[in-house]
Amino acid sequence: MQRKSFGLVILTIICVLTASLSVAPTHAADVVTITYWHTHSAPEAAQLTKLIAMFEKDNPNIKIQDTAYAYNDFQKALLTSIAGGQAPDTARMDIVWVPQFAQQGALLQLDSAMSDFKTISDATFPGALATNYWDGKYWGLPLDTNTQVLLWNQKVFQAAGITAPPATVQEFADDACKLTSTANGSHQYGYAMGGTYFWAIAPLFYSMGGKIVDDKLTTATGYINGKESAAVFQMIVDLYNKGCLSPSLLGGGIGTEQGHGTGAYAMIIDGPWMVDLYKQDFPTFQPAFAPIPAGVGTQNSSVVGGEDVVVSASTPHQAEALTWVRYLMSSKAQVFMGQVGIVPTLSALTGSKDLPAYYQVFMTQLQTAQARLPNPKWGAMDDAINAAFTKMLKGDAKVQDALDQAATTINGLLAAK
Amino acid sequence: MNSRLTSPTLRGDTRSPKAAQTRRVARFKGQLGAYLFLLPGAFLFIAFIVWPMLYSLHISFYNWKIVHPEQSVYIGFQNYIDALTDPIFQRSVLNTLLYGLVTVPGQLVFGTLVALLLNDRFPGRAFFRTVYYLPVITSWVIVTSLFEYLFNGQAGLVNFILQSVGLIHAPIRWLADARLVMVPLTLLGIWKGVGWTAVIVLAGLQSIPTQLYEAAAIDGANLRQRLRRITLPLLRSTFVFLVVVLTIGALNVYISGLLIDRAGSLQDEAHFVLTWMDKQTFENFNFGQGAAISYLLTLVVFVVSLIQIRLLQPESDNS
Repeated sequence: MQRKSFGLVILTIICVLTASLSVAPTHAADVVTITYWHTHSAPEAAQLTKLIAMFEKDNPNIKIQDTAYAYNDFQKALLTSIAGGQAPDTARMDIVWVPQFAQQGALLQLDSAMSDFKTISDATFPGALATNYWDGKYWGLPLDTNTQVLLWNQKVFQAAGITAPPATVQEFADDACKLTSTANGSHQYGYAMGGTYFWAIAPLFYSMGGKIVDDKLTTATGYINGKESAAVFQMIVDLYNKGCLSPSLLGGGIGTEQGHGTGAYAMIIDGPWMVDLYKQDFPTFQPAFAPIPAGVGTQNSSVVGGEDVVVSASTPHQAEALTWVRYLMSSKAQVFMGQVGIVPTLSALTGSKDLPAYYQVFMTQLQTAQARLPNPKWGAMDDAINAAFTKMLKGDAKVQDALDQAATTINGLLAAK
Repeated sequence: MNSRLTSPTLRGDTRSPKAAQTRRVARFKGQLGAYLFLLPGAFLFIAFIVWPMLYSLHISFYNWKIVHPEQSVYIGFQNYIDALTDPIFQRSVLNTLLYGLVTVPGQLVFGTLVALLLNDRFPGRAFFRTVYYLPVITSWVIVTSLFEYLFNGQAGLVNFILQSVGLIHAPIRWLADARLVMVPLTLLGIWKGVGWTAVIVLAGLQSIPTQLYEAAAIDGANLRQRLRRITLPLLRSTFVFLVVVLTIGALNVYISGLLIDRAGSLQDEAHFVLTWMDKQTFENFNFGQGAAISYLLTLVVFVVSLIQIRLLQPESDNS
């Protein structure tokens, strides 16, 4: 009797499984799964899960399967998946990687694949959009963005008798030295930079009218080693030699976040993520933000950071993938993700009451912020500028000579295929 | 039984082709089980070690396109020539060799000293064995971060101690100079490897018969003589093993270099061979040259290991 019951149970399970399998293909044929890889943090990923649910409700025939990666592992994961023919349908990637992956033929050319590309792209910040441009075509859309602005420690400024953050580069340099002191046995620096890589100097570089190459991306001669560019580096080297700039930019010192939070660095230049970092690490510290100081006769500017959304060239579900991309670029999705610290790329959202108040200064700065060179060889070009900057600071080369060498290296990289 | 097998008649039978075939079949049947057991391992070894290695060799001769491999252009040994003439690669080789020249003897000397101490019986021996082995099982990422803090140029403990005892008057920026950064890197390599080296030497020490020491003591040999005449000669094969393995490890130094270089903004001056290979492959997308660098490193590891084994083995072993 017991054996009979067991047999009946097995038979029932088999029947249920068979029935479900016979239904599954019909369902699977209707619903297309789009894979989406990203590097969102845990709170951002939680918000993304809600966004996906909203999208799937509006688009019942598309299911989004998202996968989060650690930033440091992401480029290798993408490369491995592409090499193995298992690339994700869509991905949110660092803006500087887009030209690299586009050159490899891994990305779908969006300005030809999307009939409404111009409408969507025209609504974004120009600097953020430029990060998707390479070889005369657009390979992605700016999904989220950021830029760097001036952070000034109000207490330290007040103690030095300075009432407002500097509006011009000249005021910035003067203030940096006024705010430097060695009183009470501890060293306070007026200004600190995160390193010698281009991202760190880029806001002042662009604000003072510096350029890396010409607009047609053919030469660096007269640009990275031009008058305006050299003036930026000379100003920083002078601040360093006077002791007004923390030597930590050469590495192995107190980090900019910690130094600014504790008052050791009166000014730093950094991004919107500092708000959350300070809330977490220095809860009593109130960071103050201001636009990047303007150069002589130039509008203030900064550098664009962030991520672009791209579609794999090999996706078998191009239409559905593009539907997901359009949704991500919608005002609704941009505001929704904006609630967890992700700055939208739609310029019309500047000043939106639906976004955190501190976005205002960053989104205003983004109106004039510039993209680093969108080029597959940007990493090596960045290294060349970095090496030149280090030589100047260490006194191994004069500013102009170091930049001339950087121009030669960048010209070689521009010429290389 | 033996007399039957060695009888001329039977030996004559076994030499006939039919008997030989029967014997081969019987031997194969007897070994079939072993082959079946080896099969999964061999398959995995070929699929995940041999095949990727051969594929990587193939890539090293091409200007490799990862998405469209069929569009890759054959360029012969150009990737090897480019790598060898690249000043950054040359610098990375020098840095790696310097790292090996310092860390291998360092680990050997300190590891042997620790092993000699831990070989004696004293209260808390197990505790100290654990303490010395702790760095070995700690993550490279964690200990590298620890060394970054210790050697911080503005607020590091090392500078604080050196200044407190009057050895230096101004803080040293350890992580900002390509030469100085080798100090924390090599110290980290030695500190992390001492425990493992000590365990291997300890195993070697415990395999030495105690009668030899007793006989030497009766003959009046002192501690130093026992060390020179018994311990070190009998540890020769242990040292050969350690020198080869530690050298291979030193040539493959990667994580500490990667993290400390990033912390110090040293650009390309402080690269090790593997960090440069990683950058060429995964940051610069120069897959062909990355593969070529990995093969150059493999060749160096192979040659260095061969030389070490030949030089360090006793004459009798070489013959």
